Parts: sequence; structure tokens; C-alpha cells
Amino acid sequence: MTILENILLAGLIICAAAAPLCKRLLATVIVYLAFSVILAVLWSMLQSPDLAITEAAVGTGISGILFFLTLKKIRALKGTRDE
Amino acid sequence: MSDGREKSAWRRFADWVNGDSEPIDRTTQYVMNRRPPRQEEPPELHEQRERLRLKKFLGLYPLAAGFLCVALIAILFATVIYIPPFGQPGNPTNNEVSRHYLEYTEEETGATNAVTGMILSYRGFDTLGESCVLFLAVSSVMMLLQRDKNNTDEQTLHRLRREDAIERTHPDNILRKSAKLLTPFILLFALYVLFNGEISPGGGFSGGAILGGGLILYSSAYGPEQLSRLLTRSLYDTVRITGLMAYALTYGIYIFAGANGIKLEMEWMMIVIDLAVGLVVACTIYGFYTMFQRGKV
Repeated sequence: MTILENILLAGLIICAAAAPLCKRLLATVIVYLAFSVILAVLWSMLQSPDLAITEAAVGTGISGILFFLTLKKIRALKGTRDE
Repeated sequence: MSDGREKSAWRRFADWVNGDSEPIDRTTQYVMNRRPPRQEEPPELHEQRERLRLKKFLGLYPLAAGFLCVALIAILFATVIYIPPFGQPGNPTNNEVSRHYLEYTEEETGATNAVTGMILSYRGFDTLGESCVLFLAVSSVMMLLQRDKNNTDEQTLHRLRREDAIERTHPDNILRKSAKLLTPFILLFALYVLFNGEISPGGGFSGGAILGGGLILYSSAYGPEQLSRLLTRSLYDTVRITGLMAYALTYGIYIFAGANGIKLEMEWMMIVIDLAVGLVVACTIYGFYTMFQRGKV
């Protein structure tokens, strides 16, 4: 359990450091969503399932959708069908 | 403004808020007429100055960003040193408040899940404030992004029509099939999380978020028209406002009865508050999506 927890914590740090270093905004958003997923798993391992459900729904689903829509509105999604 | 006299005070106020009214007093008009025209500077000079500014900015930006990062990391690490170790019994968080919550939640509020009982009853005002924040957030997003005949030009309409045409001629089959398969289960799970929040992990916020996510999935797979035929603008507004008002009313009764020592059955109140929070959250999330995507519900 501790090993898995340490791996997840290392993943958190890697995601947090990688998100601002990505060249494309789309990649930044995806790395940020990965951060949220890892955080949700960590919440459930720390025995707070209420927080884990909310993190998974809001942090991964809803904020991801809002980020993608904003990127689409400012025409930052290069290479997709709309451009 | 020729018919200025006939306009009602409310109409004039609305014009003033929208920025449509002309300056009425004569001093303002005089100043506006007498203002000297702006002096144009030669474009090459302007360009040179802007380039210099950009160069200075790009030189300073990494330095400032690096300094801020290092300072923030140092402050956070210094704070972490003083945080008590995780999960120790002698920590300051394990005081009589949390002990009271854990021991008496089931008996006082009727909720088996102490977290939901605490959020919706002991700290109900806190949650009411959060619901108001969400309500106001979606209202202000509507103010900024809603499309009507005053702020939509031909170009935007053309772009929207083109997107619709692409959507019709090239439907995304993977998205449609998976949405068709998943949406009922997502909505069912949302209702389970919403109504079962007192017994199992979950509650209003997470259930509402999952409900909104299911609606967004359906709307993005089948186009916004499909869902807006069912969930019209008036229904959307009704649900949003009713949710917040039901919360305020129920929690008001709850507080009033508790303060005056009246015994009430608390079980249904928790469910009503749960449902109200869930509806407000779901409407907020769905409203954000539709406002960002199409500019209307």
C-alpha cells in the first residue's frame, strides 16, 4: 500500500511539473486532468471516498470539459475538425 | 433619443445599464464635442517602441517566474515543516467538535454518513452560501456569453450553421454509440449518489456533478437541439431557482424548528436539501457547458 502511495505521489509531482512545461495548451490540459485522476485515487486511499467522488466528477470531468470548450473558443485546438 | 420623454424610468435605467443611452446633460456633450482628435504617431516609431517593450518583457518574464516559483516553494516547505504528522491521535484536528460530529450525527440528523450529515445540517449555511455562489456564477456567465440579436453578427451565425452542417453530415459514431449506451447508467448512478448520500459516500455536490456530466455527454453526442427540446430555457430557469429556494426554505424551517425546540422528522428534510443542492450543481454545470458551446440553453 505504501509503495503504491509513493508511486502515486511521485506521479502527482511529475504531472504538476510537466503541466506548465508542455508546448501545446491541449497537452497541458490533459496532463492537468491526469493530475486530478491521481489525486482522486489518493483521496480514496486516504479513506475519504466523498472527496474522491467529487474530485473525479468535478476535477476530471467538468473542469476538463470547460477547459476544452475555452480552448475551442480561443481557437487553440489546432488540427481538429473545427480549424 | 427622440422619444426620451415617453420612456419610463425603468426603460431609461435599462438603457443606461446596457450603455445605449446618450449623454443627456449638456456639459458632457460639450466636453465630448470639444475633445481634440487623437494624434497619430508614425507607425514605424510605434512598432519600434512596442518591439522594445516586448523585448524587455520577454527578458524579465522568466526571471520573475523563476523567482516567484522558488519563493512559493520555499514558503510551502517552511509551512509543511510545522504541520503535525499525518494521522496521529494528538493532532489539533481531533478535538471535541469532530468527536461530537462523529458520535451524534446519526442521532441528531438521521444521516448514517457523517460527512453528508455535517455538510447539510451542522454546516448548512456554509453549503447554502456555496449554492448561491454557483447560482451567481452561472448567472454572470449568462450575462457575458449569452447570444441574442444585439450581440450576434452574421459571421457568428454563419460559423454556427457550418458547424451544424458538419455535425449532421459527419456524425461521430463512436461518440453516439457510447453515449447511447452510457447515458442511462450515468444518470442512474447520479441519482443513486444523490439520494443515497446519507448512507453511502456521495451527496448533493458529487451527485449533481455526475448528473450534469451525463447531460453534457448526451448533449455533445446528439447535438444541443435534442436536449433543449426537453430541457427548455424556462424549465432550466425554473429548476435552478426552485432548487435554491427549496434549499433556503427547508433549511430555514430546520433552523427555526431546532432553535425553538420543535421536534421534526429530519429524514425527508435531508433528502430535500440533498436534491436541491444536486439540482443547483447540475444546472450550473450544464449551463456552463451550453453557454460556452452555443451561447444559449
